[in-house]
Amino acid sequence: MKRRNFLKSICAVSAVAVVTSPSVLLAKDATKAKKKGPNDLTYDAAVAAITGGKAITDSDKVKLTVPEIAENGAVVPVKVNVESPMTEADYVKAIHVLNTKNGNARCVDVMLTPMNSKGYFATRVKLGGTQDVVALVEMSDGSFLRAAKPVKVTIGGCG
Amino acid sequence: MAEARKSMIKFKPKKFKVGDTIKVDFIVIHPMDTGLKKDKKTGQIKPAHYIDSITFSLDGKPFTTMKVWETVSTNPYFSVNLKVPGKGKITVDYTDNTGEKNSKSKKLKPKG
Repeated sequence: MKRRNFLKSICAVSAVAVVTSPSVLLAKDATKAKKKGPNDLTYDAAVAAITGGKAITDSDKVKLTVPEIAENGAVVPVKVNVESPMTEADYVKAIHVLNTKNGNARCVDVMLTPMNSKGYFATRVKLGGTQDVVALVEMSDGSFLRAAKPVKVTIGGCG
Repeated sequence: MAEARKSMIKFKPKKFKVGDTIKVDFIVIHPMDTGLKKDKKTGQIKPAHYIDSITFSLDGKPFTTMKVWETVSTNPYFSVNLKVPGKGKITVDYTDNTGEKNSKSKKLKPKG
């Protein structure tokens, strides 16, 4: 009888373990999703912070060059060219490079001056997964232009 | 924390004249840690360590300023255009989120 009880109790314990294990796993996933960087910001919040609610127009003037497929998400070259005369009266004030899915949506804000003579900027960014890279350009008259391109990332680079 | 970092300023093309528009490339050796990755040796999460501001200036007059976040790649590279007004000195100052300040400069020598 003792042995029977013992076996029963083992069965009960293991059953409980089986039942509880998925929930434990789920809890782990939840903590993983909560992992946050120092200055996390969603894309919409980032855009709102930059534009302050002003209208954005998609424009051909902004040329965004990114690879279609990035094999390594840790190094994705981004090039932005903006057509502009770059005179004191009419120049590119700022180029914001953004992403749509990283923890922090902002990559770089570049404030240009007429001394640059061309609205050009290039850098390399990290992308955590397949997403869009967005160039948000602020002109000197206060208007905002945008260009966006999707990038396929095979290996994420935001650890 | 004021350890000297390896950095480099490049002008493209190498030979240029007054009035030409050249590319000014700036590369710096920097980990750009996001604060999410684990250190493989210790198993501890590495604290965020990234460059947060960069200023390009010509003879002390800034012509491009940047605000940078941790989403920029390790050993970052930045490239901007500049119309060469004459002889001068390009200086790039950059600051960390840890308060580490560095600068690098190179002389502009247009020919002809």
